[in-house]
Formats: sequence, structure tokens, C-alpha cells
Amino acid sequence: MNARAITSDLLLGLIPIALLVAVWQALVSFGYAPVTLLPPPGHVIRRMLELLLSTTYQQEITATLFRLFAGFAIAVILGVSVGLAAAVSPTINAVVRPIVRVLAPLPKVALYPALLLLVGFGHESKILLVTFDALFPILLSTYYGASTVEQKLIWSAMAAGTPPREILFKVVLPAASPSILTGCRIGLVISCIVVFLAEMITSTDGLGHVLVTAARTFQAVDMFVPLITISLLGLILNGLLELLRSYLLRGFPEV
Amino acid sequence: MMRRVAPFLACIGLLLVWQLGSLALNSDSFPTALQAIEAIPAILGDKDSLVNFGASLRRMTIGFSVAVAVSIPLGLLMGRSRAVASFFNPLLMVVYPVPKAALMPIIMLWLGVGDLSKTLVIFLGVSLPVIYHSFEGAKAVEEKMLWSGAAMGLSAAQRLVRIVLPAALPEILSGCRTGLVLALITMITSEMIARQSGAGNILFNALDMGQYDTVFAMIIIVGAMGIGLDALFERLRARLVRWSDPQFDVPLSFS
Amino acid sequence: MIQIDHVSQVFQTSARQDHLALSDISLSVADGAFVSILGPSGCGKSTLLYIVGGFVQPTKGTAKMKGDVIRGPGPDRGPVFQEFALFPWKTVLGNVMYGPRQQGAKRAEAEAQSKALLEMVGLKGFENFYPKELSGGMKQRVALARTLAYHPEVLLMDEPFGALDAHTRTRLQNDLLSIWERDRKTVLFVTHSVEEAVFLSDKVVMMTRSPGRIRQVIDIDLPRPRRRVELLLDPRYQKYVVEIERMFDDSGENEL
Repeated sequence: MNARAITSDLLLGLIPIALLVAVWQALVSFGYAPVTLLPPPGHVIRRMLELLLSTTYQQEITATLFRLFAGFAIAVILGVSVGLAAAVSPTINAVVRPIVRVLAPLPKVALYPALLLLVGFGHESKILLVTFDALFPILLSTYYGASTVEQKLIWSAMAAGTPPREILFKVVLPAASPSILTGCRIGLVISCIVVFLAEMITSTDGLGHVLVTAARTFQAVDMFVPLITISLLGLILNGLLELLRSYLLRGFPEV
Repeated sequence: MMRRVAPFLACIGLLLVWQLGSLALNSDSFPTALQAIEAIPAILGDKDSLVNFGASLRRMTIGFSVAVAVSIPLGLLMGRSRAVASFFNPLLMVVYPVPKAALMPIIMLWLGVGDLSKTLVIFLGVSLPVIYHSFEGAKAVEEKMLWSGAAMGLSAAQRLVRIVLPAALPEILSGCRTGLVLALITMITSEMIARQSGAGNILFNALDMGQYDTVFAMIIIVGAMGIGLDALFERLRARLVRWSDPQFDVPLSFS
Repeated sequence: MIQIDHVSQVFQTSARQDHLALSDISLSVADGAFVSILGPSGCGKSTLLYIVGGFVQPTKGTAKMKGDVIRGPGPDRGPVFQEFALFPWKTVLGNVMYGPRQQGAKRAEAEAQSKALLEMVGLKGFENFYPKELSGGMKQRVALARTLAYHPEVLLMDEPFGALDAHTRTRLQNDLLSIWERDRKTVLFVTHSVEEAVFLSDKVVMMTRSPGRIRQVIDIDLPRPRRRVELLLDPRYQKYVVEIERMFDDSGENEL
């Protein structure tokens, strides 16, 4: 892929976004939508810059990011450990498999009220919800990656003198890393979505809360800003994860 | 045989943990599993609740079906044409991290609190995973299969429908399965936010009124719905794509 | 060096049936001998190799290395696989250094050793490449270097040149022989090519199709060092090849 192809791809991709903004502006300018319901893009951008510079909004972003990272981090640690364990130990496998099969399709947001009752309305309930939701994709892709490691890689390492207890970290984990990182990417997006939702349902701070407050006071402009913010955050975080991924997987052939 | 029974054992195990946990905590806001189960018949027998459930399911079905009908063709086109992919990719990446249910307040402002806004949100929520999986599935179709088709005289459109679609079907159905879970989640959360009808509404009403038995009973019901739908879908998927089977059964051997 | 006593191997197929892969194999491999195991596909020759490697436990019988029963893999028996099995997350140098590091060598020492080995297999300058950037022939050289790096007494080679084109294969055969000439390790070499077996080995163990049994062991009495161009025109070499092929033909097992 040469530079020219990439730039033309990028330009092509900006078209629908630009179109969307144009249609948005047109709807407002030609009076098809009242300004109270659909503020012009210019207003939204201005308000967004305003808020981004204000400390209160920055605090909201921090609260959301904190819960997101905490939940995601726990999900990664738990998911990778259990996924690896289930791939190498038949006993753990037998126990974990049915539990995952039962819990994975469960809409975990339905557990949110239970979490609220159990740990209260603060950070913990949201972090726990993020963890539950992000856990399963990570666990499943870790398990898949670990259980499809080429047997001969393991044999080569054993012949070179690696004792069985070290095989997990020296061979299985690195060999499964493409799968694991794919699972993490999915888990990250889910974390963004879930933290925002949880904050919308009940919270006293965070981006989701900002949205709900704006809705209650009919401030349409203030409703757009947190949405765009979480979208941008998601993009940035995903981009960072992609960078990490390319670095960690630099030796692996591209699929 | 053990494999079939295992998920049921897992369910019972989890319920048992719940029961013991709640007895240990002995808190008013955390009813035991038995108490929650006892509250279920009351909910299912109540005509009002059934109307709510029916509305939920109806919205979910419509949202899901329309989403699938639109997303699969789009995803397939994106998979086979780089131009189409470059056109839509950035837009989709921007929309992905935004929880579709978070669009509820804005959509509610425009379209009111009724069915349309919730169905629209479900449609949006289901579209993304189905588009992405169709995209990935179509991208992975071997070039040589299409060349064979072209040599047989199939036009581009025919090749898309008669070769790409069946070849990508396993991946597409994977996306639909994710979409189904998301449909359920989006349905519940949209109802939790726009409390007017539906299962999410029942849940949060019960929470507000302190009827904790009902809250947890609803969680079980929604959970069962999720698991049931997923199991049904998995059956359907296995039937449709009998020729392709993911295999990650056996743990690695290096003991 | 290696003693295989009445080894049999039974596998469970996916249809839950018993499949007899190897039947009553007994074989001695002398120290420093280059022995080929030759047979049609499915005759269990790779399985036999894996048993000696300690990757698979025999259902019946024992395999012994220097008198001790083989219970698992170890650096005394180094494998080289057809699929290369290189660690994709390590560079070429990283792969070769793996064995020495595992055995406790210091980084600098392991690095120097490995670089020398890579030069010996003809890959000087490629130390910092990743396996994905190499051709098949180069990957196999790395695999060989990686195994040699931990100084195994026995080399277990499982159709190592099977995935390569004919040209690369002949080059690597020559290179393998010149490397082997240096310290004459014991080699167990699995192949389905009669010419390859005769060209490389001191002894050829012919196996039948499944269930795999030893049909015959043939001593290859050709002088060393062997050069392909000379050997191709040597009537003794030609006789061996024809004889062995005829034996396979006669038994109706001519699908190598």
C-alpha cells in the first residue's frame, strides 16, 4: 500500500462524514429542523471546545476514563488468565466452559440493578459492569488463541529444554497474542459503550451523566457534546491499542 | 453426555452461589435466589407485564430484521470493493464507540418516546456488528473461487450472491449472533432510559419502588431470554453452515 | 545410542475407533549413524520419530536413549520439523538463541554462538529478520541452526525438506551433509523419497504402509563425503535406488 493509495482511501472515507455534516447544516439552515432540537454543527463544535477547556467537563471525562480503564484492565487480567488456564488444564476447562456458555449470552446490563444494590451507586458498580461485559470477548479469544497454538512450537521448546511449567509463558502466551489482542480490541470498544450507558442509567458524574442532565434540561447542544466526546475517546483509545498491537505483533505474518 | 448436561449444572451452580451469597449477606436489598424465582410466576402471570414483554420482543424483532436486511448487503459490498470499504469505514469507526442507546435522548427529542425511537436505536445497534462481520467474511473469500465463477459466466452481482454470500455465511451468522445479543441489550437499555414500556421499564420501576424480588426476578427472566435466544440461534447457525465448524475443544498437551 | 524395542502405537480416530499406526517395531541406531526411515504416507514413520523424541508415549514397548527409557522431550534429541515451527515472535537470532539461553548460557555468549551457527548455515546478515520475511529454505536453515544450538546428541528430522521446491531441497541436502560431516551426530531422518534416503544415509529402514512395520533395513555402502553430481552417475547408487523402489513396487505399495 503506497502513500497515494492511503491518502485517497482517507479522502474517500471522509466523504460520508462530510456529507453528514453538510446535511446536518442544511437541515438547520433551511429551517427543516428547529434550532432547539437540532443545533447547527457550528454551535456544537463551539460548545464542545468551550467545554473541553472547562475543568468541570474535564473532571467528567476523567471520571469516565477512570472507570473505563479500571474495568477494562481487570477484564484483561481476568480474561487472559482464565482463558489460558482453560486452554491448558482439562479440569479448569471442564469447569469454565459451561459457565461461560451460560453467562456469555446474558445481557449483563440487566445485572446492573443488582450491582447497584450490592455495591452502591458509586464507581464500583460501573467498573464491575464494564468488567463483566468486556471479560467474555477477551476470555474467549484468549482461549481460542491458546488452544490453537501449533503443537510443534511447543515440542520445539520442550526439546530445547523448556520445562512444562514454563511453556505457558514462553510459548503459549506469545503464540496466542494475536488472538488475545483482537479480543482486547473488542473488549475496549465494549468498555467505552458500557461505561457510558451505565453513567446514563444512574450516576452523579461522568460523560453519560452529562448527556442525561442535558436531556432533562432540554439543552440539545449539550447533548451532542458528550456523544462526540465518547466517540473521539473511542477512536483515540482504539488507535493507541492498534499502535501497541503493531508493535507487539511485528513478527507475526499479517492475516 | 456430560457436555450436554454441563451448562445446566453451571446454571444450578451459579444459582447456588447466589443463594448462599445472599443468605450470608442477609441484606434487604439482596433477595435470595429462591425468593427471586418465586417472584417470577407473578410477573409472567400479570397481563400488563406480558403486554410489556410483547412490545419489547416486537421492537427487537423488527429492529433486528431490518438491520440484518440492510447490513449484510452493505457488508458484502464493502468486503469486495475497496472503494466502498474506504467510503464507509471511517464513518462506522466513528459511530462504533457510541452506545446506540445513548442516542435515545436525542432521538426521543425528535421522534418522541414511542416505538419508533426504540426500534431505530435497536436497528443501529444491530447493524454495526453485522456489517463488520459480513465485511470480514466477504473479504476472506478466496479470489480463486470468484475467478472460477467468472469463468463459468457469472456476472459480478451473481458472484456476490451465489459465491460470496454462501462462502461468507459462517462469519455473517457470527455477526448476527452478536447482533442478536446487542439487540437484546439495546432493547433493555433503551427501555431503561425511556421508561415507557417494555422489560427494562418493569425492571427499573421495581427498582424505584423497592420491590427487589421483582428486580432480581426480571434479571433472571431477561437472562433466560438472552441464553434461550442465543441457544436457538446457535442451532440455526449449525444447521445452515454444517460444512464449517469452529473447533477448539481439546486443551493442549504438554504434560 | 537409540534402542527401540517392540514398539506399537495405537491412536483413537475422530470416529472413536482404534487405529494401529505402528506394529512391533524393533530397531537399533548406532552412535554417529545417519539413518533414514523411508515409507509411504501413513506408515507411521513420523510417529516413530515422535516416540524417539519423547513427544508421544508408545502404547506398547519401549524406546531407549543410551540405555535409559525415553520419557519426554529433551535437549539430547533435537527435532527439525517439516513446518519449521519457528517462533514468529522472535527474530532469527532470537530463535537460535532460545536453546542456549534455556540452558543457562549468558546472553553475550549465546549471541556469539548463535551468530556463528547462522553463518555456518549460510544466513549471515539475517539475524534481525523475522521468520515471516524469509523463504522456506531459509526458514529451514534457521530451524536447523536453532536445534544445533543446544548441541543435541541426536538429530530427529521429520521430512525437513518436504515443503521446499526441488532446487532448494537439493541445496539443503548438500548443506546438511557438509554440516553433519563436521561432528557426525546420530541422525534419524524421516522421508518418503528413495533418492533422498539413499543419498544421505548409512542405513535405510524401509517401512510398510499402516500398520507400519519394518520391511527391511538396507546398509548403504557408499563412500563419504558424497557429492550429488558424482553419485547420480555412480552405478552403486543407482542400484540401491532401483532395488529399493522395486521392493516397494513388488509389495504393491508403490505410492510413496
